[in-house]
Amino acid sequence: MKVFRLTGLLAVLTLSLLAAGLLFFAQAPTTAPVAKQDTKPLKISHPTIPLLDAKGVNVIKSNAPISTRKTCGRCHDYDFITDSFHFQQGRAERGNPELLKAHGISPFNVTPGMYGKYSVIPNRQLAHLGIKSPDDFDMGTADWLLHCGVCHTGGGISEFDSENRKYGTVPEKDIDPLDRDYHVRDAKTGKVVAWDWKKSGYTEGDCFLCHVPKANRGARRERVATGDFRWANNATLVGSGIVKELEDGSLYYVKSAFNKDGTVKPDVLDLSDPTLGNCAQCHGFSAHYETNIQPIQNKDILRGTEKVGWIYDGAKISDTVHPNIVDKDKMDYPWDVHASKGLICIDCHFAPNNPGRKQQMDLKKNLRYKPKGEDIAAYLRRPDHNFARGSIPPETVNMTRHFTMRGCEDCHVADKIHKFLPYRRQHLKKLACQTCHIPKVNFWAYRSVDWGFLMNTGTSRITFRGIDGDIVDPDSKIFGYYPTYIPTKNEHGDTEIRPTNLITGIDWFDKDKGRPVFTWQVQQALFEGRESDGTWIYRPEVVKLFGDEDGFIDIPQAVYDKPEKVALVKSLLQKYAGIKNPELRITVVPWAMSHSIVGGKQAIKECTVCHSSNSILHRPIKLNDVAPKNVPVYYGGKRINVVSYASDGPRFNNKALLSGFYIIGNSRVFWIELLGWLFVLGSLIFVLVHGALRLIVGGKS
Amino acid sequence: MTPLEPMYSLHERIWHWLQALAMILLILTGFSMHYAGRFTIFGGMKGDVLWHSWIGFFLILNALLGIFYHFTADKYHHYIPRMDDFTTGAIKQIKFYLFGIFKGEKHPMETDPRKKLNSLQKLTYLGLLGVLIPFQIVTGVMMWGATRWPEAFAKVGGMKVLAPAHTLGAYLFLAFIIVHVYLTTTGNTPFALLRAMITGYQTPKSERE
Repeated sequence: MKVFRLTGLLAVLTLSLLAAGLLFFAQAPTTAPVAKQDTKPLKISHPTIPLLDAKGVNVIKSNAPISTRKTCGRCHDYDFITDSFHFQQGRAERGNPELLKAHGISPFNVTPGMYGKYSVIPNRQLAHLGIKSPDDFDMGTADWLLHCGVCHTGGGISEFDSENRKYGTVPEKDIDPLDRDYHVRDAKTGKVVAWDWKKSGYTEGDCFLCHVPKANRGARRERVATGDFRWANNATLVGSGIVKELEDGSLYYVKSAFNKDGTVKPDVLDLSDPTLGNCAQCHGFSAHYETNIQPIQNKDILRGTEKVGWIYDGAKISDTVHPNIVDKDKMDYPWDVHASKGLICIDCHFAPNNPGRKQQMDLKKNLRYKPKGEDIAAYLRRPDHNFARGSIPPETVNMTRHFTMRGCEDCHVADKIHKFLPYRRQHLKKLACQTCHIPKVNFWAYRSVDWGFLMNTGTSRITFRGIDGDIVDPDSKIFGYYPTYIPTKNEHGDTEIRPTNLITGIDWFDKDKGRPVFTWQVQQALFEGRESDGTWIYRPEVVKLFGDEDGFIDIPQAVYDKPEKVALVKSLLQKYAGIKNPELRITVVPWAMSHSIVGGKQAIKECTVCHSSNSILHRPIKLNDVAPKNVPVYYGGKRINVVSYASDGPRFNNKALLSGFYIIGNSRVFWIELLGWLFVLGSLIFVLVHGALRLIVGGKS
Repeated sequence: MTPLEPMYSLHERIWHWLQALAMILLILTGFSMHYAGRFTIFGGMKGDVLWHSWIGFFLILNALLGIFYHFTADKYHHYIPRMDDFTTGAIKQIKFYLFGIFKGEKHPMETDPRKKLNSLQKLTYLGLLGVLIPFQIVTGVMMWGATRWPEAFAKVGGMKVLAPAHTLGAYLFLAFIIVHVYLTTTGNTPFALLRAMITGYQTPKSERE
């Protein structure tokens, strides 16, 4: 009985243990392998589409150029999209002198945008409508497209004339003899000639340039620069697997890229949001992680890099393989902190009506974010291509959407991360974030572009800052450069100090016509002809005065360092170019810096960097090797003298510009200092003299 | 030997020396900011800025306590000039400093516990306590409060007006301190006045004569 009892007890215990064990394992967290997380960002696939030509026929059948109006316009509002700035470039604001005046833009400009506004860099001027003399014609629309059309994305300017008539459809009899839309100034003959739009074709909006990751700007450039506007958009797809170029230069469609139903294989076209690479093609060197910095691509210097030395790259500067960055080992931080965090352009410069991104409202009203945004379908039909942006000098371009972008303070709570800063709010109000977060640009950028005297290529004398040597020479040492500072208005209407690069132009101005002298007119004045290889031949009197002993005029000699040189070219402009009243001018143009941002560790934190007698805020940055003295200086469209002459060349003097700021430790009011020190020294002298007399006289002491 | 007579109470002396210390530190930190990068008092401009603000507020507090004390202890009248202080009194005192002192003449207004300040001192302190200190306090507080009261700050012209005005005041303070320290040597002996402000006692008028 006892044995039975014991056995029973053991059995019960064993069963209990088994049950407890089962229960434990049943409740224990599963140790089954978790599905590996896909780190690749999800991407919404664009539906497969057929590529259609201008007649709506599938290009695979017609072999005609792709019409984005027909192809993309099936679902997206093509006219709405191409009415935006990337396509119009200011064309929409043409013929509006009041608008120009309101923005302080000289009336000789045609528009306030890139299409029609003078810039010291190219020194070309779009002709006004209704001009009567070829002497008033510098550049026609086709001229503009030949030079600028590679970046400016088709549609708008490239498709319609100033009266919104499609190019190639206007009868010859209806065309004005000097209509800028139908004429160009021939580069070889210098004559104003008609442009054959039927031969060149026109370019519709190039959606591929921004929405196909493998977009080929180089191939597009070849087409645009040679006047083959018709096939420019097809050229953008060369290399994508859809379009190939034959040896004879013609383009054909690769059949294997298309499905049987005529649509393009989605993985080949890969339509997507604009990538960093898409924007970089035109705007400035940008990459997620790139140790070979190539700011010259497809024969062009990327614009943002050219103007301010912008390198938007997540790689550390110290990792740079090419080019030769001096002291790079000391720079163990990324070229741009935002790039290193994976931010791409559209994170801040988004389509304002994209419901997936923040919609910033009028800050003067109470609504900062509108939760009930646009319907996704409505957005996809009409995505606003006037992208969110800031408003920084020079105010040359888009007149709309100022301060709509995601700015620094939309992501960063500046108040919290700047607790170390005395008078924090005052600093944050008076200084743009970039002022401390771009302490130095570690690359080169334009310094001066002088069209006032031309090299024997017939073009300007260009100098760079931040580099010792040629920008294409891999051995050139890149020292980088320090910014200079100017006041600008921010989104709250406050004037703040912001870092910039300065590009100085030395140009002739036609005082009677109230416009800059055209480059072809300066060519007429300086040169007597051209060699068979295209080299321009200087007039003997020019060589005599400007040339060195060997009779050549090299970059160091091509400057106005003597009044006689100015007088000579002035007389030549009068004699050969018929300009009665030419005036040499210095124009200083600031280009604001927004990229190449460093993080907190590298940002300026030491007070005396700004608050001292040698404050960086008044850094006398060198403007050029030489600049003529006693000539008018223009800054921001106004005659303001911002140049002081040092022994080694002209320097920027921003004292007048920053006169609205009192920078403790740097600013001085002369009479306050004078009066103050008179009181102090007067007291000391009184004490010394009085004390000495008391000792000498031996009176009451 | 006649015992020393009490001249300055403990409260007065503490008030005076705290005020002096605060003013000297304010001048030093102020000029370290004005001439930033050349010298520093509290380890750098940031330290100088922070200490300048705190010391400034301490000075205000000390000034208020001083006013409270002088009124409640009925000592404010020492600082109130009479009409003749502006005219004959001041002229006499100036004449003494410019001429009489070299001839060993008797001080025209010997001080005692009931009349602690001569006419020139009364006028100087009227300017200092009635004008210069309030002026420095107002301009300094407005600069400190620029982000707290931006409208008021902007109305008076912002930093462009306030900072130079405050700087001019600082120069005047420095000039005052130089002369003030020097004039402490014009007592019965070179350190008599200084000793009085430290110990609180001075030689009686009868002993000085």
